[in-house]
Amino acid sequence: MNNREIAEYTLEKLTKLGADAASVGVAHGSTDELNVDGGEFSLMRTLFDTNVGMKVIKDGKKGNISINQTDKQSIDEACATVIASAEQSQPDEAHRIAPFAGKEKFTLGVLEPDIAALYDRINEFLRTTKQDYPKIMMEQFIAQYERENALYMNTNGTEFEQESGEYSISSMFSAHEGEKAGSFNGADALFTDLNTPLIDLAGHRRLFGESERSLDPVSVDGKFVGTLIATPPLMADFLYSICGNFCSDGVIIDKTSPWIDKLGKTVASSGLTISSRPYAHEIVCGERFAEGFKSEDMDIIKDGVLKSFVLSDYGARKTGFERAKNHGANFFVTPGSRSVEEMIAGVERGLIVNRFSGGEPSANGDFSGVAKNSFLVENGKIVGAVSETMINGNFAEMLGNVREISRETEGGGRRVLPWVAFGGITVSGK
Amino acid sequence: MLKDYISQMKGAMGSEHTEIRAQRNTSRRVSVLNGDMISNSRSEESGVCVRVYRNGVYGFASGAEYSESAVREILEAAQRNAKFMDERTGKGKPALPVIAKGTVEYKPYFSDPEQKAYIDFVREVDAYIAKKYPKLVSRRVTAYADSMEKLLVTNDGADGYSIAPRAYVPIIMTANSNDGSTVEMFRVLGAERGGCIDEKYRSVEDFAAEIEQNYEMLMAKAEGVYAEAGVRDVILGPNMAGILAHEAVGHTVEADLVLGGSVAAHLLGKPVASELVTMVDFAHTLHDGSPAPLPVYIDDEGTPATDELIIKDGILVGYMNSRESAQHFGMEPHGNARAYTFSDEPLIRMRNTGILPGKSKIEEMIASIKDGYYLTETGNGQADTTGEFMFGVNMGYEIKNGKLGRAIRDTTISGIAFEMLKTVDMLSDDNVWVSSGFCGKKQPMPVGMGGPALKCRINIGGR
Repeated sequence: MNNREIAEYTLEKLTKLGADAASVGVAHGSTDELNVDGGEFSLMRTLFDTNVGMKVIKDGKKGNISINQTDKQSIDEACATVIASAEQSQPDEAHRIAPFAGKEKFTLGVLEPDIAALYDRINEFLRTTKQDYPKIMMEQFIAQYERENALYMNTNGTEFEQESGEYSISSMFSAHEGEKAGSFNGADALFTDLNTPLIDLAGHRRLFGESERSLDPVSVDGKFVGTLIATPPLMADFLYSICGNFCSDGVIIDKTSPWIDKLGKTVASSGLTISSRPYAHEIVCGERFAEGFKSEDMDIIKDGVLKSFVLSDYGARKTGFERAKNHGANFFVTPGSRSVEEMIAGVERGLIVNRFSGGEPSANGDFSGVAKNSFLVENGKIVGAVSETMINGNFAEMLGNVREISRETEGGGRRVLPWVAFGGITVSGK
Repeated sequence: MLKDYISQMKGAMGSEHTEIRAQRNTSRRVSVLNGDMISNSRSEESGVCVRVYRNGVYGFASGAEYSESAVREILEAAQRNAKFMDERTGKGKPALPVIAKGTVEYKPYFSDPEQKAYIDFVREVDAYIAKKYPKLVSRRVTAYADSMEKLLVTNDGADGYSIAPRAYVPIIMTANSNDGSTVEMFRVLGAERGGCIDEKYRSVEDFAAEIEQNYEMLMAKAEGVYAEAGVRDVILGPNMAGILAHEAVGHTVEADLVLGGSVAAHLLGKPVASELVTMVDFAHTLHDGSPAPLPVYIDDEGTPATDELIIKDGILVGYMNSRESAQHFGMEPHGNARAYTFSDEPLIRMRNTGILPGKSKIEEMIASIKDGYYLTETGNGQADTTGEFMFGVNMGYEIKNGKLGRAIRDTTISGIAFEMLKTVDMLSDDNVWVSSGFCGKKQPMPVGMGGPALKCRINIGGR
């Protein structure tokens, strides 16, 4: 059966078994993957997979199931199981299948890969890295091409179909000199053609250079309160944490979010605008539909004012707030006017932090952890890389304490983020 | 139980090291937030994969379809991939040595009840907490279970069949704190071993003490103070010692990470910890003869699983290996190459990693500290190739003049593993294991970790 036949068969079966409403998502995908371990090619993988995801509502009760077999017997068994799961659940008016949202087909990315050319690009990447950054050891490098045909249908008539293909890379590396070893660092990117050398994607050259300069770290003595300049990769991590802690279903439904009564109010410095924009041209294969709704770009914070939580349809119906227009993954922060260099020159004492190795933030937004791949700044100048240095702060307070935003940005096909300087961060060394 | 379409393929494997693995993973989850069921889901994922080793590179292929013809197609695709890589890389490495023959099986109790079993228990626990602890501002109760069933055929190792079920019930309680914000405490009920929902979770009363302890810690934390940042004398409770063993030491001695630049590359045979510290990655049976939390009897390369001694009396004595890395280092593989789903290749993974207990009583350890902390619960942890690690601390107490003081708010500790372990001067005589977590390394993987309480000096974050 093809995707449409599977989806139609499944919806019919679920309806016959008593579902009041149902949806099904069917996806067929393949992946070609090349792996480098310890600086050498190690593995080539070819993966074929399918997925059939079902959601049913019966008497106000919900059930979900996901399988990866598409023969009739497997689908029949899954239909019976998910109906039973729903029947055994409890009713909640907030559960539903999305209302009719149209019929549309999306074609995204590159649909025909060139794996031999991808191999050659990786080879070039390894050669260039060795030549230009001799202290860098590539612990792992993974390059993939993923192709997927997906179809979503529900009993309210919605049909969304997507055909997509994308290349991706992810790296993990560290600098070494004799027995000296630096912290691991990494980068990732999505892209749709092989026209650009891989070393010029995802900020690899910046990160390689910084790792090589980190082999002789300086100590931070004692504790001080200063400025944190968050690089684009760190901003991405922070934004995921902030959305999870302050804007997501769980903390809005149970009202433990510190922002529960802040919609439409100021939660950040006036210069800060955070959005999630899957349709932006910089984003590769951004989300086009979710939960049976067509996705749209959205502002989360605009000029410091909270514009949207990041709620699912269930979360929205449970709380009375609006459903988020997308999943909140393709973050953009509006750039500022000053260069990173100028930002650094304006810092009396602080850290440039590229990676944060920390515990889960507390419910109130408190966070603490180790500043990795980070540099100490004193009197407007970079003093050196740091080791064994911790940073502590609170996300809510930090957003209200934005000092500068850079005009430079980095992305990698998933997001576009600048460097952002925050005041009032506690830095503690040994 | 998985049908066997793969044994008959032995003749088609060729002379190069080849594994064929059929696998089925299941997952079940029910979650209730303040009485509302926010999650009620099940998933199944199955298929077959083949990996072929050729002159220093691997070809791998997998597919969801599992039939005689599909296995043959996947085998051919894996062979093509191995050829593609071999022709381009020209590594010319020797074949992997033959390691074992025969069949290894592990068939513990396994059941896969309807969703009702999860729903009923979650509702029972939720109702119990709602009634007994009305001061909570939020409560979340989840029941989840996962299983991995694997059928393995190799041409130069053992064949195998295993099934590994796990079931757990995590709870999160949230309360208002003394400064107007909220605090929460997380605990996995029944975290000490794997198993199935019906045999582990029969009545909420069996877990009343664990729930009460979680609530008491939450109430103490609600009145808690921020830790004072800096390097301090600290007792890490057994849960913290387990994650220390796994994250801070374990990852640095995985042979693939050693080859990738881990600090342990230069430390084999050298002192890396105080003489009190011995650390083992157990396969299936712990040092006291009891079953490991998540027993592994054979890995996914066909290596029968045995223990890996990592640190002996403070000296680094071993790495965890795959067959390929063992050949590189001139060591024996002990069954650490494991894959998470049918579409994953085996990677070097820990199994049940722990520090062995010492001889001290926890009371003596607390009494020996004038000004420090007793840290009991952790949320997550990460480690670096340098051995620098970080753990979230979800619960801890001040120690003042040898006595426990106020609770502290959530914080983080960090250190350099092989420096910090040299400061260990006391280990408690008990041992606690947990098995509910996943280790992340390209693929997720269920792992067990454990240890005694240990006294050391460590950097603690705070204000």
